[in-house]
Amino acid sequence: MSPTDEGFDQQSQNNWKGVFSISSYTQYFDVDTDVVVNRLISSFYPAGGDFFNKIGANPDLYGLIWITTTLVFMLAAFGNCATYLIQKRTDRTTSWSFDVGYVNAAACGIYGYSLVVPVAFYFLLRYLGSNASLVRFLCMWGYSLSIFIPTAFLLLIPVEILRWIIILIAGTASSCFVTLNLTSYIGGSNDLRMMMIAAFLLQMALAIFIKAWFFP
Amino acid sequence: MSNSHSDTIPLHPSSQSDIDEIENLINASVQSGPATVLPARPPSPPRASIPVSSSPFIQSKIPPPPPQSSSSSNHKVPSVPAAPPPPPPVGNSSSIVATGFGPPSNTLTEPVWDTVKRDLSRIVSNLKLVVFPNPYREDPGKALRDWDLWGPFFFIVFLGLTLSWSASVKKSEVFAVAFALLAAGAIILTLNVLLLGGHIIFFQSLSLLGYCLFPLDIGALICLLKDNVIIKMIVVSVTLAWSSWAAYPFMSSAVNPRRKALALYPVFLMYVSVGFLIIAID
Repeated sequence: MSPTDEGFDQQSQNNWKGVFSISSYTQYFDVDTDVVVNRLISSFYPAGGDFFNKIGANPDLYGLIWITTTLVFMLAAFGNCATYLIQKRTDRTTSWSFDVGYVNAAACGIYGYSLVVPVAFYFLLRYLGSNASLVRFLCMWGYSLSIFIPTAFLLLIPVEILRWIIILIAGTASSCFVTLNLTSYIGGSNDLRMMMIAAFLLQMALAIFIKAWFFP
Repeated sequence: MSNSHSDTIPLHPSSQSDIDEIENLINASVQSGPATVLPARPPSPPRASIPVSSSPFIQSKIPPPPPQSSSSSNHKVPSVPAAPPPPPPVGNSSSIVATGFGPPSNTLTEPVWDTVKRDLSRIVSNLKLVVFPNPYREDPGKALRDWDLWGPFFFIVFLGLTLSWSASVKKSEVFAVAFALLAAGAIILTLNVLLLGGHIIFFQSLSLLGYCLFPLDIGALICLLKDNVIIKMIVVSVTLAWSSWAAYPFMSSAVNPRRKALALYPVFLMYVSVGFLIIAID
């Protein structure tokens, strides 16, 4: 059953004081430390599908912004470390140098994904008639990326087969999280099955991109 | 007329005419005696509690034009000394932002070394307040009362330059990444605190985050000179801890205690990423 969030939307729009006023955005950051930690931990367990209930009337963009930023930094840092380790294993001469291009690639990839995909789903679902809330989608997709942070750390292990196993597990967990929550939010009608499959595949594609680009 | 003031900055044409007008009035009133005593200029506004001590891009301090600027040309400061200093630019022709100073000070004609020395001493005093232990640490309003943006600018550019020197390839990209990371990071961190419902002053926070980079500057310099990885890690960890310790009281007192970790984590993340850049660039 999809939560009726029309009432919630009305309540949140009353505080809008314009695009350039900070106080109109503070409503999306109205969370305490323990709330954020709680949401983070719940995003690690894909089974459940109750993330939107957990957000309730209080979706936050703090998670989205700082999880993506942390992930960008981790990918750039550990990607460089990983190439360093692999190079040290294969040839003794370390002619490795820090590749700053990883920062650019990580920023474009992660920020682009976490902004474009929820917005695309929001517009698509609105077009197809079901009510969707952009902030909740952004929040959910942001928290779904949190599992890639320890994954990036684990991908340092320079064994290729292990890396693929790790990234597949993480990608599956993240995709299941996204798909189950999306299903429980929208109502799981058969017409929207394509949406679920698309969400699953996009998240898996992101996981594979992370492995292939940063930890080749 | 401008030659007598020994400055070589070409004046705006309208301000030149204003200055001429004032000098004529001064000469006229000197000749006509105290019969035409003019109303005194109203006192300059009191300094705000956390003031802008000087606009960072303008070295000289020009006193504010009087608020009633319509008939301002008739006003005369009663305490103008006998040897006329450069007359205050009254009227709306002056577009230079003024500060809360009293009688006109000779900052236009002072030697450049005096100006530089004053700014440098302010940077040093702010540095001592922020980065080193002192009794004002727990009260951030008092700790950085006289903030400025020169110090942060120097520290950020110095860090970018040091990283760029250490890099063997893609030097300009390294500088760009470091500078963008630090500058955008300071702004985003401040916005983060404001969005979490905290109370800080935007530019004061930028200034503080810039000053807290000083330990990392030292660390980067040491890493530039010594190329051993172990030493680099130790130096970077120590300076990272020092920077975080310097920024902690200010950031944590600005927000609700239940959200302290939310405000502090991004600061830590930024300093760790800069520290990582320092270690990794060789």
